[in-house]
Amino acid sequence: MIRALVSGIFIAILLGWLGTFVVTRKMSLIGDGIAHASLAGIALALLLGWAPIPVAAILSVFIASFIYFLEKKTKISSDMAIAVMFTTGMAIGIILLHFYQGYQPELVSYLFGNILTINSNDLWNIIAIGLVILVCLFVFYRKILFSTFDPVGAYLSGIKPWIYDLVLYISTAVAIILSIKLIGIILVSALLVTPSAIARLFSKSFKHFTVLAILISVMIVFAGLMASYYLDLPSGATIVLTGTLLFLLSFVLSFVIKLLKKVNT
Amino acid sequence: MTKSVIVVKNLTYKFDDFIALDNINFVIEQGAMTAIIGPNGSGKTTLLKNIIGIYEPTVGSVKIFDKQSNQVIKRIGYVPQKFEFDRDIPITVYEFMALEKCGEAKHNQTNIHRALREVGLNDIEKNKLGELSGGQFQRVMIAKALLHEKEILIFDEPSTGIDIVGEQTIYDLIKKINKERGTTCLIVSHELNIVNKYANKVICLNKKMICSGTPETVITPENLKQLYGIGAGLYHTH
Repeated sequence: MIRALVSGIFIAILLGWLGTFVVTRKMSLIGDGIAHASLAGIALALLLGWAPIPVAAILSVFIASFIYFLEKKTKISSDMAIAVMFTTGMAIGIILLHFYQGYQPELVSYLFGNILTINSNDLWNIIAIGLVILVCLFVFYRKILFSTFDPVGAYLSGIKPWIYDLVLYISTAVAIILSIKLIGIILVSALLVTPSAIARLFSKSFKHFTVLAILISVMIVFAGLMASYYLDLPSGATIVLTGTLLFLLSFVLSFVIKLLKKVNT
Repeated sequence: MTKSVIVVKNLTYKFDDFIALDNINFVIEQGAMTAIIGPNGSGKTTLLKNIIGIYEPTVGSVKIFDKQSNQVIKRIGYVPQKFEFDRDIPITVYEFMALEKCGEAKHNQTNIHRALREVGLNDIEKNKLGELSGGQFQRVMIAKALLHEKEILIFDEPSTGIDIVGEQTIYDLIKKINKERGTTCLIVSHELNIVNKYANKVICLNKKMICSGTPETVITPENLKQLYGIGAGLYHTH
């Protein structure tokens, strides 16, 4: 349980922070796209008897770079680029799994998440790679935000926005893959988007938004893991539903606050 | 002799097979206040994007301070016609303006405050960008362009969404910066009266360059008819 909590909280910080940029860029689907496309890497690794997460992580870097290339260098829009990669990766994964003989219990845990499958190797991978991503986000925070919010302004200030766009795409892709064992391919993008969707209802500035999204993300994972442990429910789905419940409560609360402010003025 | 700051030579720009700009040539001198006029779809914004290097000319060249645009880009301030963003993203005016850092110690919080005051905005730093009116937002964009004392300022219809009084304030401010700091200003505008009052050079554009020169020589019924196809002209309020 301790291993699950530590890795879960680390992933929550990563996805909570990255989610603020992803939501600002209106590319909430990227999490789904990369996670689903990574099925190809996981299936290939299972078939060859290799470690699935490192193979999926390497593949995700290529997928993220390719989505970026399609978006920027062709007339294909972001959602189209993501949809093409999403379905292609899934299709390759399904065909590869067709050649995998027998029952595939491991595959089910990759699809839906299973906290019990996180071993100490996974934990150290999450901490080490997660730290590299956090340092990148901390060092390049202003430049990533500038390239995200005002790419023309960033270019005019001498920044090369494509570098920071790629840093964001690749960091998001790798963080998504690190989260697959906890939440599963099918559900992982929820933790990228839900904390930011809640945080922006109450934030007064982008700094406030970032801190709040990270805190909410940690809260969702902690409460979800606890509920999953004590109610004996699947970890990924419980975490996602905890987030949804919190979002609904927050939405109603923000609506009531706005209504009260209107009445008082 | 006045130094040439922007030199556009034989510039043609195509979107696939569509010719947006056809063999444009002009020179802008240091400290000039130049206006570009032309009907909708005449290539004004495309021309500005070629000048700042977002678009690369299909044929011809743009030189700024005798160099490629991307080599001197930090010396240019630009106010776009449209700035699209998700208005629900909670970013404050201060955070937006502080995104650009230039290393000058004086361009700090006080300067952001001063730049906002110059465009007529007080106590607005903590407001969310998405909650500003169209006019307030346009003023923030202008304040942002003024912040780092750029040598060239390019405005693409800077008074969009601003009322008549506000429009006057904005153009007075641009003129003041042009005179006091010697900043070279390039403005795209639909307002012929404004152009006539503030600019010292006018470039008429309708995919091709129709004419250029001082407002008095360029804004004539013949040129305007050629440019807009109807009897556009200056109006006088008495």
